Amino acid sequence: MDFAIFLVQLLNGLQYGLLLFLIASGLTLVFGVMGILNLAHGSMYMIGAYLMWYFVQLTDSFVLAALLSAVIALLLGVVIEKTLINRLYRRNHLDQVLLTIGMIFVFNAMQSLLWGDDPLGVAVPGWLSGSISLTELVEYPVYRIFVALLCLLLAAGLYLVINRTRLGMLVRAGESNREMVECLGIDINRLYTIVFGAGVMLAALAGVVSAPMASIVPGMGEHVLISCFVVVVIGGMGSIKGAFVAALMVGIVDTFAAVLLPQLSSMIVYILMAVILIIKPQGLFSS
Amino acid sequence: MTYFFGKKTEQLFIWLFFPLALLLPLFLEQNEFYVNKLTSVVIFAIFVMSLDYLVGRCGMITLGHSMFYGLGGYLFILIAPEFEAVNFWVYTFYICVLAAAIALVVGVIVLRTSGVYMIMITLAIAQMCFYFFSDSVEFGGNDGLFILMKPDTSLFGLAFFNLDDPLHFYYFCLLSLFNCLVFWKLVTGSRFGRIMEAVKDNPQRTTALGYNVFLFRLLSYVMASALAAYAGYLFALQYGFVNPSMMSWQTSGSALVMSILGGMGSLYGAILGTVVYEGLHYSLEHLTEHWLLLMGCLIIAMVMLFKAGIAGFLENLLERRK
Amino acid sequence: MTHATVLQTEGLCKYWGGVKALDNMSLSFHDKSVHGIVGPNGAGKSTLLNLLCGSYKPTAGRILHQGEAIEDIRAYQFVRRGIGRGFQKTNIYPQVTCLENCCIAAQRRVGGSFNILLSKNSSALLKEMAEQALQQVGLGSRRDTIASQISYGEQRQLEIAMVLATAPSVLLLDEPMAGMGHEESRLIIELLKKLKQDYCIVLVEHDMDAVFELSDQLTVMVNGQHLVTGCVDEVRNNSKVKEAYLGQGDEVI
Repeated sequence: MDFAIFLVQLLNGLQYGLLLFLIASGLTLVFGVMGILNLAHGSMYMIGAYLMWYFVQLTDSFVLAALLSAVIALLLGVVIEKTLINRLYRRNHLDQVLLTIGMIFVFNAMQSLLWGDDPLGVAVPGWLSGSISLTELVEYPVYRIFVALLCLLLAAGLYLVINRTRLGMLVRAGESNREMVECLGIDINRLYTIVFGAGVMLAALAGVVSAPMASIVPGMGEHVLISCFVVVVIGGMGSIKGAFVAALMVGIVDTFAAVLLPQLSSMIVYILMAVILIIKPQGLFSS
Repeated sequence: MTYFFGKKTEQLFIWLFFPLALLLPLFLEQNEFYVNKLTSVVIFAIFVMSLDYLVGRCGMITLGHSMFYGLGGYLFILIAPEFEAVNFWVYTFYICVLAAAIALVVGVIVLRTSGVYMIMITLAIAQMCFYFFSDSVEFGGNDGLFILMKPDTSLFGLAFFNLDDPLHFYYFCLLSLFNCLVFWKLVTGSRFGRIMEAVKDNPQRTTALGYNVFLFRLLSYVMASALAAYAGYLFALQYGFVNPSMMSWQTSGSALVMSILGGMGSLYGAILGTVVYEGLHYSLEHLTEHWLLLMGCLIIAMVMLFKAGIAGFLENLLERRK
Repeated sequence: MTHATVLQTEGLCKYWGGVKALDNMSLSFHDKSVHGIVGPNGAGKSTLLNLLCGSYKPTAGRILHQGEAIEDIRAYQFVRRGIGRGFQKTNIYPQVTCLENCCIAAQRRVGGSFNILLSKNSSALLKEMAEQALQQVGLGSRRDTIASQISYGEQRQLEIAMVLATAPSVLLLDEPMAGMGHEESRLIIELLKKLKQDYCIVLVEHDMDAVFELSDQLTVMVNGQHLVTGCVDEVRNNSKVKEAYLGQGDEVI
């Protein structure tokens, strides 16, 4: 593998990892703060992508469509939390699994009902199309760099919110000791609604930005959900830092495996996970 | 019988279900399609029951149980010669033992974790297996493989039933289901079952009483996996092919839904849940192409309103007056 | 006269990161006696108990049972050697009967716990063992009551019965009288007096009157450190003990 290809793969891996982080951070936040395992998290990613397609058709503007999709996803998250999830806090994991499986069914059916089962695509907006050249022969698409930077920006924003704001303080307190936060006399329900809504929005945003890179197909949510599980398990359940490290790790390993070990490529991240779990059953950054 | 199937509802169900299931094909004899449909429900109930034991009786929530269901089919293709009819009983034994051996290895990894971790790691391992088979050219990728020669079912020179006759196969599967129910009842009523239940309720205390909690969990995991593989093997024989969708997470998910619908941990509820779910699936599918939507809403409603499942509901109805 | 040493620790340490929960603890526990462990909150009493029953692995030091080093064996193997542990928070199986609670505890002794075909009700001996344990603590009349439905005090008794049903030689009891009224405490004190004729009992307890009444040996711990060990009177009159307790203002002897 020469240097240019290596560079391209590395960039691809980083970009994929950052995208995974965007989705996994919501999953791990919702679990860490609320103790809810949301299997329907991948569906939010799918919904983001489909919404993006729909609004691009409608408005013909990339930015506007992205904003509309994000807002709708946020609203959807809030509604789901208020109507369904908030009945589950005192229930066991099994009920959570069942309810969120039911949600997957509903979302998949809605997707098929509203948008059909044919693959869809969104064009890269004009101002982000084109490529920059890495070497004389190898080029890299601008859009992918844009996605990576956007994800980095969002990750940095998330970091700032969690570490520098009052809301973030509550989130961190909730991660380490949920009962304590409830004892502090804080309106825990509002915190939960915000966290869940934000988690859904992050996943949907990942769907939004990946819409121009990959085709929009039914079942895309489940596929990404499993990858996120791997990220969250490797990183340690509930740990944002762990999710970040693990997402980059999974992104890079997955991308390079596709080139170097094509026969193992779809299994490699699971093998990685199994190995890490044998060494550290609670993940790399568990509390 | 009273000793065995303790609760009144359970006895009632068994006295109703099995005779009914025995008689039902007589009314459908002309229609092979329905007999096949019934057979697949019965086979899946065997799978759901093993999951019901694992989740409901041992407290080990797995979303990767379908891996063993699929392996049951693939193992047969892997070990049986392609153009030669092998003995059904011998291969039943082989497949259960092989699946148990795989479950032993997987279990050692999976059971280091518990709770949410276990849910996710079982799912991830099953997905790994799923991708392995759907990517592999040797195993036919997404399309799977056909079984060219069905096994021969003679035992000690006597042919009990003919695998190619749907009715024969239906009755055999029904017998298997009954045997599985008896088996799980034996297990849960045994000394092992007592400690397994203690492990489920309070693992810390059970360790402090001198039991190796890990080994109890592992044995349960191995048994449930072997029977899941048995169900997958029957499925493969019924349709004459295997494909990766057998081990998809949807298979695990719907089995979990059926088990909860029936009443988690009640074992006979697994049969109830499978029959009701498949019945709903079948009728909704005919009603609208978006049956998934109705199914999803139904599941959500069930979690919210109907916690103990059908078995719990019936038990409440029939046994409340005391 | 002192009885034979059953359980012994040598330089036992447990560190959590930089925190010394237990530091250099060397103690001997004798047969047919009560060894009380007292100290203010955070003194490391529960850590010591968790080390003695194998729940925690020591950072350094040794645990000797009948002269053999056992600090490396697994938690469940401690019970097989006869080291039984009662919990501070009531830790029973609430959904089954009192008798069944003790059957679970006693079944390891009759064996067959991995036999998936042997009915759980097949052994008369097992039932006898379980009933005997219930009677030892005075819960014979509650055998068929669901454990969650007996009173809190009775649940504490059941907790002890379950430990007894494992046929231990050493009883590690973590605040058996916690949260009990005077009457109920009396019951437990009388029970422990009876039990100490046959067992080596290590008793962690906050109720000082009870500890003084029961203990043959008494160890005072402060901040994970061993302060003093001796008979009740020695400890009572020890100046270091007075200082530690008065200085902390926690409890008064």
